[in-house]
Amino acid sequence: MQPNKAKPTSPHLQIYRWNISSLTSIMHRLTGVALYVALVFMAWGIFYYTYNTSPNNNIHCDCFFTKIVHILFCGAVISSAFCLYYHFCNGIRHLFWDIGKGFELKTAKKTGYLVIFLALLLTIITVSIAVYLKFF
Amino acid sequence: MQKTKIAPSTKHGFRHWLLQKISAVALIPLVIWLILSFVNIGLDPQGYLPIFFSYPLNAFMGILFFCFGFYHGSLGLQVIIEDYITNKAKVHFYVMLVNFISITTSVAVCIAILKLHITN
Repeated sequence: MQPNKAKPTSPHLQIYRWNISSLTSIMHRLTGVALYVALVFMAWGIFYYTYNTSPNNNIHCDCFFTKIVHILFCGAVISSAFCLYYHFCNGIRHLFWDIGKGFELKTAKKTGYLVIFLALLLTIITVSIAVYLKFF
Repeated sequence: MQKTKIAPSTKHGFRHWLLQKISAVALIPLVIWLILSFVNIGLDPQGYLPIFFSYPLNAFMGILFFCFGFYHGSLGLQVIIEDYITNKAKVHFYVMLVNFISITTSVAVCIAILKLHITN
């Protein structure tokens, strides 16, 4: 008998019908993994900027490749901001569940939509503040 | 007739859950503190990071944020790895890999923040 191959892996993604509870749950996991990666990059970024002995190396380089990297970097920062807000809001929702509140189906659905809405709203606010500080 | 084999309890689920929750609660103020300074650091890291971490509270909260963040992250990733990977040897390997990355990275970032704090 091969116990390792026969065991099922627990949260199945393909076989269930999507609804707001499963969506928020799986997004909590995905954003968690994304945030871990972002945290590693942030940490090594701080390390890099601390020990960077020759700053202002390629700020004046206006080539195509630098622009592509810059756009990708902005996209990564904005999406990790969304991940942070989403994981933060949904994490508070999970903590409320842990003390036994908000389990009713209606409340759970409402807070699910609320969490997604809040995360999007906070991301838009953050991006607007960044754009304002950068260009005005 | 083949019996269904159920994965045995590993007897440390409650402790894991509790530590996950405690680190989550600790991260709430740290994340709020981080968001307030998120934008300024992101726009000019080379210029703003030394100023930011020269304040004692910022350095303190920064180190706490990264330590709790990596702890919470490794606990969470451990659950995900245990859920989706069935091979026990692979589970141990990936959990150890995640723990290794967490520990080395948090030590590195603590050294960096302390250097920024002390030299500025």
